[in-house]
Amino acid sequence: MSDKKGIDILDLIKKVLFTDFVKGLKVTLGYNISKSITHRYPDDEKWIPYRRFRGVHTLNRDENGRELCVACELCVKACPTSCITVVPMEDDTGRGIADRVAKVWRVNLVRCLFCGYCEDACPTRAVRLGREYELACSDFRCTVRNREDLLMPQPVPESIEGGIVAKAKFERPLSGIKVTADLKVTKKRAW
Amino acid sequence: MSTILEVVLIAVKVVVVTMILFGLPLPLTWLERKVAGHIQVRLGPWRVGPHGLLQPFADMIKLLMKEDIVPDRADKFLFTIAPLLAMVPAFAVFVAIPFGENIVIPVINKEVSLYISDMNVGILYILAISGLGVYGIILGGWASNSKYSLIGGLRSSAQMISYEISISFAVIGVVMLSNSLSLVDIVRSQGGSLLQWNFFYLPVGPVWCAIFIIGSLAEINRIPFDLPEDEGTLGAGFHTEYSGMKFALFMLAEYVAMVSVSVLTVILFFGGWNSPVPLPIPIPPIFWFVAKVAFFIYFFMWVRFTLPRYRYDQLMTIGWKILIPVSLVTILITGFMRI
Repeated sequence: MSDKKGIDILDLIKKVLFTDFVKGLKVTLGYNISKSITHRYPDDEKWIPYRRFRGVHTLNRDENGRELCVACELCVKACPTSCITVVPMEDDTGRGIADRVAKVWRVNLVRCLFCGYCEDACPTRAVRLGREYELACSDFRCTVRNREDLLMPQPVPESIEGGIVAKAKFERPLSGIKVTADLKVTKKRAW
Repeated sequence: MSTILEVVLIAVKVVVVTMILFGLPLPLTWLERKVAGHIQVRLGPWRVGPHGLLQPFADMIKLLMKEDIVPDRADKFLFTIAPLLAMVPAFAVFVAIPFGENIVIPVINKEVSLYISDMNVGILYILAISGLGVYGIILGGWASNSKYSLIGGLRSSAQMISYEISISFAVIGVVMLSNSLSLVDIVRSQGGSLLQWNFFYLPVGPVWCAIFIIGSLAEINRIPFDLPEDEGTLGAGFHTEYSGMKFALFMLAEYVAMVSVSVLTVILFFGGWNSPVPLPIPIPPIFWFVAKVAFFIYFFMWVRFTLPRYRYDQLMTIGWKILIPVSLVTILITGFMRI
């Protein structure tokens, strides 16, 4: 009984001295003077994801510049949302690594859920999910990516590991907004 | 001639104080959002102007351009007049508030007092006028023809009745310590050094200060006592139906009330414009005054983003079962100490 009373008195003293309140104030003051973790995207900074990031598809070439895709259509079979269209054709001019190349390789990004099964299914490692993640646009045409776009070199080269914040420039021309990252000026993220 | 000069001087002082009070909410909204952002490890306003400094102006333009909606079947007259009823008392409080000792204007060589009026019952006037501010909230809630607004208004009146008593007791305590009802005399009685401040009149000073600050937080409807505009349960409380400039007037009243409470805390407990320690170099008293007031404004924002909102029954418990008995006991102790 007396033990219980002792605890009550301690509790009362704590309440009178506002100890919990002061503790809370200390915590919030600590956060107030700490550095903000907000990325100033799109104005100044842009997040460069890790290599394992699953963004927009890329089609790759081998070291001689030949297309790796052999139009086997395994990615089409593996795709759970049937968003990939591949039309094969025969070409022996050395465009691809084999006689069979893709005439059409098209992905519908509205339906794609970026699961990466196409990447897993690909026997030649031609299709990979890249690091581009800015997919917002104002009409449906830009939601479909064709072979020609996907074969373009990536804005973030494979040599960069990612997980960094790069300095960026926000451009707003009439043709559409974009954020270009300056990969030379980077920093680790704040947290 | 000198009478005309006096009238002109008072008019100029009134205009200056009113302009400052109309202008103050602009930086204060910015500051509040910045404090909120940084406490939540965000940046706060950033994109309008450097560090978001022009954000209040953008907000002002937005509020001016918005449609001024009066809800269907609302009491149009009361609905329109309620924001003014909330705003005018908040401004009228500043008639009695002194900002510093008399100063001499160099060019016309005339001594000017830094208050509009030194009433010998200044603190009573402030209590009476600030109590009127709740009418705006109650009538706004009543006239909106909305249950959220009505409940917000009712809560505000109950809260006001509960906490006005303990604030008045805290003020009586200060009056007992300073032997005057005039705010200028209260500040003068705390001159000298830090230890003369009413806050450091141990053991009762800190108790009075805590009661006054808690009661004031409840009276100006700020977290943790912002039940009249309880976003979690009441939409936006008494101003649910307000938009555009009428809403802006309520916000203006709230910020001016926050400034007046900070000023009163400084005057009653923290020595007004007196410097904390005697210094060899003269620092203008207005600096100390502004610095202390700024600290308390920051303190109220800091508290806002630290504490959660009290439940309604907890609010009543704190008011009636804790603050009023504690203030009665402290009155007794203060009386014995002042014999």
